[in-house]
Amino acid sequence: MSTSTTPARTRSSWSLKDLVLLVVLGVVFGFLYWVFVQAWTALSILMGPAGDLSQHFLAGSWLLVAPIAIAIVQRPFAGVIAEVLASVIEVVFLGSAVGPMLFIAAAIQGIGSEIPFAATRYRSYGWATYALSGLLGAGLVFFYSAFRSGWYGQDVFFLRLVIHLISGLVLGGLLAKVIVDNLAKTGVVDNFAIGRTRLGKANAR
Amino acid sequence: MTAATTSAFTASGSVLARRNPTVKLALLFVVSLAMVFVFDPVTPAVLYIVALATIQASTRLPVKAMALGHVPFVAFGLGIFLVNALSRPGQILWEAGPVRVTVEGLSVGGSLALRTLVIGILAIGFVASTDGVALMGSLHQHARLGSRVTYAVLAGYRMLQEMPREWQTIRQAHAVRARLRPDGTLPRGLSAYRRAAFALLVVSVRKGERMAQSLESRGLGLSPRTTWRKIPLNSTDWLMATTVLAVLGGILALSHILGFLEGYDALFS
Repeated sequence: MSTSTTPARTRSSWSLKDLVLLVVLGVVFGFLYWVFVQAWTALSILMGPAGDLSQHFLAGSWLLVAPIAIAIVQRPFAGVIAEVLASVIEVVFLGSAVGPMLFIAAAIQGIGSEIPFAATRYRSYGWATYALSGLLGAGLVFFYSAFRSGWYGQDVFFLRLVIHLISGLVLGGLLAKVIVDNLAKTGVVDNFAIGRTRLGKANAR
Repeated sequence: MTAATTSAFTASGSVLARRNPTVKLALLFVVSLAMVFVFDPVTPAVLYIVALATIQASTRLPVKAMALGHVPFVAFGLGIFLVNALSRPGQILWEAGPVRVTVEGLSVGGSLALRTLVIGILAIGFVASTDGVALMGSLHQHARLGSRVTYAVLAGYRMLQEMPREWQTIRQAHAVRARLRPDGTLPRGLSAYRRAAFALLVVSVRKGERMAQSLESRGLGLSPRTTWRKIPLNSTDWLMATTVLAVLGGILALSHILGFLEGYDALFS
């Protein structure tokens, strides 16, 4: 069943099912972030100046949507589109504190997260690909955020970068793999490209 | 949650609410983009005062709603201000052991914090005066957003509105079957939240697939499409856009002439 490993990529336009899935991922993570950020804002006020630094520990969790979307849909640009849609929902419907500049950050994150998967032509979904995806997503967006928030010239610049990258690797990369594997196990994504690959393998056995 | 926050902030029927959503979003974006290149505290302070007065006059939001909307932006801005004041090298103003405050830190920190407030007040005005459904409809009509993307996002918006209830249902369902702790209370730790979050993801993916099927079976995605309720885009919208851009340009130019305006170099001076 080698043909089933190259799923719907040949189709020219996106199916509504795939698009809705990307939106759903954006909505769910947008909602969870929203719940999370409420607690986070309170905590960062209490932490004072350390609050601004502490955002880097969780920076990776903002990347989650892209690798999950790519792994399920397995189409080019899935990661970028998912990130941008998630940011639209955050800004327009949830009123994020960052404002519309988040769209640009989201696109950059999506591109970073997508590069490792694109390099394997959307065929490899091992730990290393996810780890690299998280690392690149966090790395690219760091320099944009650094420009936007004026982190250059601060004493703590490299501390920020290191925490940011580790967070991207763990929360934005490895955690995504755990979530995708668990999601695939439940069977809800069997009708998407990931399910076709998985069931195709099972049939071939 | 979402419904609650937006209903607390709605300014429907106000002057700003009658303007075209796409134009408002574009203006919000342009002003935010311009702010990224401003690094002195005076320019964003003036912009903030002008924006606050304009938004207040054009939305007539209650003071309480306005103040509540400011909370996250003020908190965010305060954190930025403190970390810049303490971690930026430069002319030392005050020092105690490892803690030192520099003039440059205060200036850049103040600028970045005020920038957060400018974007914040505009975001408050935008969210309070704009209906999400009208925005998507307007983006579809005026910004050539494809119908499938438009309706996929609208479906997601509906889902978002139901999500707090969904979350509560899942938490209650888990609670019914949960093994109680020795003292008779429900488990509350991180793992309980993690299980609920994963259940929310699974339920939503399943619901999304059903939604997509029902939209497709009703012929969504076929073209050409007609729209039932047209979102107006008229000369008043263009007048608003021109005025906002002129005021923004005017304040930036005036600030430059008076010698207040500082660009990116302020970070390294």
